[in-house]
Amino acid sequence: MTIKQPSQIPVGLETISKLEEIAFDNGAKKKRRRGMRLSIRGRSVMLRGLPQQPTGLFRWLFLLGPGLVAASAGNDAGGIATYSSTGAKFGYELMWVMLIITVSLAIVQEMCARLGAATGRGLLDLIRERFGLGWSVVAISAIMIANTGLVISEFVGIAAAGELFGISRYITVPLAAVVIWYLIVFGSYAQVERIFLLLTLVFFAYPVAAYLANPDWGAVAKGLLVPKIHANPEYLTVLVGLIGTTITPYMQIFQQSSTVERGVGRTTYGDERIDAYAGSIFSNFMSITMIIATAATLHQAGQTEIESAADAAKALAPVAGEMAQAVFGFGLFGASMLAAAVLPLATAYAVSETFGFSKGVNLDFRRAPIFFRLFSALIVLGAAVALVPNIPVIDLLFGVQVLNGAILPIILLFVLLLVNDQRLMRELKNSRVYNFLGWTTLIVITIAVLAMFAFQIWDLIKS
Amino acid sequence: MLMLSELKKFRIVDLNGNGVKLVDLAIKDSAKVDYPPVYRLYFFNENGELASLRWETVREINLNKRVISVESFSGAQVFSPDILAKEIFLLRDVLDAIIIDLQNRRATRANDVWLEEKGGEIIIRGADASLKAIFRRLSGGKLGKPDENEIYDWRYVEFLRGNPEAVKNGAGYNLRITRLAPGEIAGLIDSIPYLHAAELIVLLPDDLAASVLEVTVLERQLQIFEELEEKNAVKMLGMISPESAARILKQLDAKLVKNYLEKVPPERSKKILGILQFEEGTVGSIMTTDVVFIPENLTIKEAREKLTERLREPDFVYFIYAVDADETRRLSGVVSLRQFVIGADEDKISDIMDKYVSYLNPLDDARLASFRIIDSHLAAMPVIHTDGKLLGAVTIDAAVSTVAPRGWQNQAPRVFS
Repeated sequence: MTIKQPSQIPVGLETISKLEEIAFDNGAKKKRRRGMRLSIRGRSVMLRGLPQQPTGLFRWLFLLGPGLVAASAGNDAGGIATYSSTGAKFGYELMWVMLIITVSLAIVQEMCARLGAATGRGLLDLIRERFGLGWSVVAISAIMIANTGLVISEFVGIAAAGELFGISRYITVPLAAVVIWYLIVFGSYAQVERIFLLLTLVFFAYPVAAYLANPDWGAVAKGLLVPKIHANPEYLTVLVGLIGTTITPYMQIFQQSSTVERGVGRTTYGDERIDAYAGSIFSNFMSITMIIATAATLHQAGQTEIESAADAAKALAPVAGEMAQAVFGFGLFGASMLAAAVLPLATAYAVSETFGFSKGVNLDFRRAPIFFRLFSALIVLGAAVALVPNIPVIDLLFGVQVLNGAILPIILLFVLLLVNDQRLMRELKNSRVYNFLGWTTLIVITIAVLAMFAFQIWDLIKS
Repeated sequence: MLMLSELKKFRIVDLNGNGVKLVDLAIKDSAKVDYPPVYRLYFFNENGELASLRWETVREINLNKRVISVESFSGAQVFSPDILAKEIFLLRDVLDAIIIDLQNRRATRANDVWLEEKGGEIIIRGADASLKAIFRRLSGGKLGKPDENEIYDWRYVEFLRGNPEAVKNGAGYNLRITRLAPGEIAGLIDSIPYLHAAELIVLLPDDLAASVLEVTVLERQLQIFEELEEKNAVKMLGMISPESAARILKQLDAKLVKNYLEKVPPERSKKILGILQFEEGTVGSIMTTDVVFIPENLTIKEAREKLTERLREPDFVYFIYAVDADETRRLSGVVSLRQFVIGADEDKISDIMDKYVSYLNPLDDARLASFRIIDSHLAAMPVIHTDGKLLGAVTIDAAVSTVAPRGWQNQAPRVFS
């Protein structure tokens, strides 16, 4: 190797090979050489400061973020209750629905991610600007009420999970609230996202629970691949409930707002869609394993009435063993923690976007006072109400599902209209395939929601 | 006082009783006068085209009947889309849009716009971002009584369209944002959507835009950078400090890096390359190469003459480094700005310089070196090659930013770099 004499070296382009030798001789820790060689103005230069892009599995893992978190947050305490109840009531029969919902969820979540990347703005922000103040206030009012109810139910889930392990709710709930609050208020978006991603690992408890339940895999495959529809109103109610639980408005709001906060721009959007797809597949795979766990045990044992996730965990113990109960309870705790953090965050994003307040986990109380105050208030309220003894969580969840059901088709309609707006989306506008799948999803969900309301009205008339 | 949210419900009616719905109002001279007047009314004509009448044709505004009376529609004009894109429309561009309140240095939303009748004209007085304005609009004016104390005076409001290309197309703006310091604008840029941020950067004069970009957080810098036209991006890369340019380039695709480095001026390109050749985590990766140096054999008078032009450019001038010669740049000593200013004309640099200089090797660990700088309470420490050649300096700002917890790095002040 030729080392140029200092007098011949152009300023700023000194060779560093000699420096390296001396630095390493001085005991500095030798690092793996990185960087890229580029030819700049005909001269080859080694630029060690340029990071090499991650390759292989790491490349895909780096992409995971808002999509995985948003979809996983949908598997909250209410979600676990619905999936467990589905498995307990109908065994494997409704699992095929989950495959179809996965496609719909992936499409919807990806459209929201794309909207966020193309515009740099949250969903409520765009609704306000494109569809007017009235619609955005209607949407935000419903979202506020529904999400507040859900936050309470998540803390109830945390309390129930703690009690499965013999820990008082008066310890777990305040502790969980403080941890979540501290994380969001004092962490940066990147840190919060990493912790959320780590929390999604708890969902692996459900495949373990499913395995421990020793299911009939042939029946599982049949349940997944062979659609079976009954005219039974209860069957249809559960089917509609499955759709409503799997695709909820806060998931779309969080997906879009966190894509914005992650800093994804329209020119770089591309691989990020993998995150939305992977998140939907991951979360629905976990939902399927919840159904399998209860179908293989509770349904087989004839125990078909499950009202909450904690009920499901308790019921598992005598049928599938203490370990299955513990694993299920652990999953419930992690899922509730994740949702208890994501829901207030999604609500704070949505309110701030509607009214034009500063927002973002990367900011602080000084720079985004209303965003953080609202987040804090929801955490305090959720935790405080969850500590009230004998809170009617089933009634609460029922009311929340009705509200979420009512607002979901409206939100999806806005998403579809926005994602087809050429001025807004430019080259990221929806393709025909996306439009077909998106509008089909909207129609199916609207029918499902109307059917749900019809069943509920019918129940009321009957009673 | 007239509220825009109310005015948008008005109809335009001529003397014959023919009426059309008011579609929008355009203001003029927004960058020149404090309270710009409405000068055109827009409506859809019988052909479905967006047509406009000059404000002078207005005879009366009847608030009770919600009618703007005009003499006739015969003078209505239809403009091309290019002209329309340049107009400042109150409904299209201001109402419900993101605005910047320059007095409180915050971005918010125009929930309503206050107009005022003055000398036969309607002028824009301010933007209302209060929650009352929302209640007022939702209740059709029954709730949320207007309160003048809650409006943002139009003299201190900047509005943005969220479209960087609008600036290029010659769209009108208030241009009041230029009154703020670069750091304040950068703070605002962090709290608005990235397309608005890019629009704001394009809107600013180049030197101010570069200063703002320089102190904007990295994630936002990148988003803005991706939205800039190549010509603008190259210009900005050439104007911001080499270490900021290197920080941005490190996040880009290698092809783009090569493209930009070949297009920025060669001297600037060399300075950026001087940083990029060092691996992340080394002193070389956090140094600035924009340092002021002067041959030691010059007198202070000669040095002042030589540096007059040079001192206009770089940010970091707290120290002037004495070197053996411009070409070889072997560090001989350091002169503080104070010594340089108070020194006698005939004194030689070598006489007043401090010869015992603490320095860093570019391959030293950046974190350890940063602690060294912080502990030594120096504004900067030079970085020299093993043969004694001056490569750059690590400033106290870069040192603090390197050791600060990740969440705090964006908030660390950057005075020297």
